[in-house]
Amino acid sequence: MSRRYRVMLIDDEESARKLMRASIDWEELGLEVVGEAASGIEAINTIDDIKPDIAFVDISMPFMNGIEFTEVATERYPDLIIIIMTAFDEFEYARKCVSLPVFEYMLKPMVRSEVTQVLERVRERLDNIRDDSSEFDGDDGLSIPADINPTDQIKRFVEENYTDSQLNLAFVAQHFGFSSSYLSRKFKQDTGKNFVEYLTELRMNKAMKLAQNNTKMFLAASEVGIPDPNYFSRCFKKFTGKSYSDYMSEKRS
Amino acid sequence: MAAKEHTKRSLSGEKGKTSLSSSLRRMILGIIFIVIVSFLLSVNFITNNERLAYTERNADSLLRTLSSRIASDIENYKELSRIIMTDDKLVTFLRADSESVDIGMINDTRYGVMDILYVTEGVDSVMVLREDMIMMATNRFFYKYDYDVMNEEEWKEDILKAKGRAVVTLNCNGVASRSDNKPVITIGREINDILSQKRTGVMLMNISVDTLAAMLNQLNYDENICILGTDKTFLAGNRELIQYYTDEFLSEKVVSVSHNTENGKVLISGCKVEGLPIVIMNISPYAPEGIPYTVLYVLLLLLSVFIVSAILVAAYIRNNITKPVFDLSKIMDSNKQTGELKQIEKEMKYSELDMLKTSYNSMIDYVKELIGAVIDKEKTVQRMEMRVLQEQIKPHFLYNSIETIGYLALEAGADKVHNALETLGSFYRNFLSKGSREITLSREIAIVKDYLSLQKLRYGDIIEDEYDISDDVKNFIVPKLILQPIVENSIYHGIRIKGEKGTIKITGRLIDSALHLIVRDTGVGMSKEQIEEILNKKRDDSAEDESASFGLWDTIERIRIFCDREDVVRIRSEAGEYTEIELIIYSEGLWKNE
Repeated sequence: MSRRYRVMLIDDEESARKLMRASIDWEELGLEVVGEAASGIEAINTIDDIKPDIAFVDISMPFMNGIEFTEVATERYPDLIIIIMTAFDEFEYARKCVSLPVFEYMLKPMVRSEVTQVLERVRERLDNIRDDSSEFDGDDGLSIPADINPTDQIKRFVEENYTDSQLNLAFVAQHFGFSSSYLSRKFKQDTGKNFVEYLTELRMNKAMKLAQNNTKMFLAASEVGIPDPNYFSRCFKKFTGKSYSDYMSEKRS
Repeated sequence: MAAKEHTKRSLSGEKGKTSLSSSLRRMILGIIFIVIVSFLLSVNFITNNERLAYTERNADSLLRTLSSRIASDIENYKELSRIIMTDDKLVTFLRADSESVDIGMINDTRYGVMDILYVTEGVDSVMVLREDMIMMATNRFFYKYDYDVMNEEEWKEDILKAKGRAVVTLNCNGVASRSDNKPVITIGREINDILSQKRTGVMLMNISVDTLAAMLNQLNYDENICILGTDKTFLAGNRELIQYYTDEFLSEKVVSVSHNTENGKVLISGCKVEGLPIVIMNISPYAPEGIPYTVLYVLLLLLSVFIVSAILVAAYIRNNITKPVFDLSKIMDSNKQTGELKQIEKEMKYSELDMLKTSYNSMIDYVKELIGAVIDKEKTVQRMEMRVLQEQIKPHFLYNSIETIGYLALEAGADKVHNALETLGSFYRNFLSKGSREITLSREIAIVKDYLSLQKLRYGDIIEDEYDISDDVKNFIVPKLILQPIVENSIYHGIRIKGEKGTIKITGRLIDSALHLIVRDTGVGMSKEQIEEILNKKRDDSAEDESASFGLWDTIERIRIFCDREDVVRIRSEAGEYTEIELIIYSEGLWKNE
């Protein structure tokens, strides 16, 4: 039973993420920080790879704030434990979280003892859930019609909808009635590509075209469905090996 | 005091203005007075008139009766004189020649006449004078005769003019008079011979006034009636009435004249007896029988009905106008004094008063609305100011900075710096506390702990803190930041200036459902004067006083307002040893589960 629970930190302040990572004794709590995201957009895009059990979500983030993210995430990942971090001047906004299935909301700046206390409670909860569902930990309980190959449909659906910034694996899986893991495996099997890689490729190809047309980066970012230009820029560089502006000036000349 | 005086004045009305009720009372009393006076005057007038009329009527009928009686009596005597005239002996006496008349004949005649007179009373004497002035007279010795007059023609002119009819005069027309001067009524007539129709003499029949006196006596009129001759000669009755005689009484109609005598008001009435030289006078006092009691009773009844209804009207007005107005004004006044803007709930019976009530109520509503608007405005302004302040503090920026620096410190291995920053962050987080003004005691304690650990960083080991908070008060709701200023005071005005290590101990207990918070420091202590100054400082002084104890006083004042009572703090101290500040916080039912 001693798998460590996976923790994802979603905060636009790098120092806040780092502080959280550094100051809490995760190991002691039986937890592990497995990923970070600097915005809600980034989180949406990476969460399917990271597969966290617990997410710390800052409220004030650009492009997609913590509340919006929480709304999306609670729908797609009903088991995800969300802990909202908020400064008191966002208090009114944070009150919206009360109607969302948020595990706890905590005031910033963080105090180690408080965070530790909350995490202990989270672990207890997760332990209970795991005990209850351990028997059914089999993969997909869903029946897949054998005669239809869903991959082509999914590819078409993604091609049509990749500009939607909220599109991700979980969403597509839900849309077609598969479990995420099944979809992921099936997709890789049929296309030889990871779903996330496929989606990113689509978007980046489009972005390269936009760069050739001299489109400004932030406009291109929102057009391809990654309206967070910071994350977009990182994705672009990772995909092409060049920064967007370098790519743009290269293509122009 | 000033307010009290003002109220007093406004209740009694402005100077120079009378209240409706008093002017009403005066008016009603005035009307009643005027009605009573005019009632009395008219009653007096009516009574006098009625009594006069009554007395006059009585006197009139009395005098008429009497005068007709006298007239009929005299008529009887006239008849008698006619009978005498036809007496044989007299006729013979008158027909006889002058020469043949002798004393014997006269005596015969006298006896004949006297025979007739025996039958009646009252005839004092009968005198018959022949044309040749030979006289036959009964009772002749009681008379004195004036022969000079007798020989003149004048005295019988009237008699002769009457041509045989009887003429009534007094005292024998001056021809004779009784020797005792008693007046007589004389019936005179011309005697004509039956055969020759020639005048043969004149007869004078004297009737004694005693007959009149007897008649009055018989009728019991001795006192109030006086009978006179037209020449004012007293004939019979009450002689004293002569003094009231006036010539007005010579009319045959009854004339009345009022006189005031010592026995009160009297009415003197008089008239002449028709055809006779006789005046009758009557005296009668104003008769009480004349008072028209029925009329008076009716009037009196009307008067009392009027007075009663006037009083009823006054009472009605008082109960239904003046009193409700007073009540209204009292309620309005109590509104003014208490400052509560209450509507008037009391039912008003009449639309006018209801109108007054409604306009007052709507005014109250309007005032409330205005006050509400002012308060709302004030609140908005305060909120804006608060927002601006918070905006300036920019907690988000502050917190992010603290976290960033904290990470830097951690990265550089400066754990202490990270600890300090975390404490600072926690302090500010609790300190700003979502903007709320009231927090749980445990949160308040957390603020103090953070504050003290930060202060310990600054001043090293001179402070030690201890906490003894019982579990039952941890969720007690207190005004935010009541302990921190006191602790701050303890550090700066207690422990630091003492120059040695000091302890601050905070104790929290629930005693009689009030929270007792004791902050004890082992500092220099406070003097009695200082304690007094802090406890007794007035609200108004605070503005200009920026002294050291301001934070402490401000805290006490906030607790007073929160608990809505004055005795919320006790300060015990011993100079050079300790200071103990006890806060007592009463808050009913303000518990919060965290």
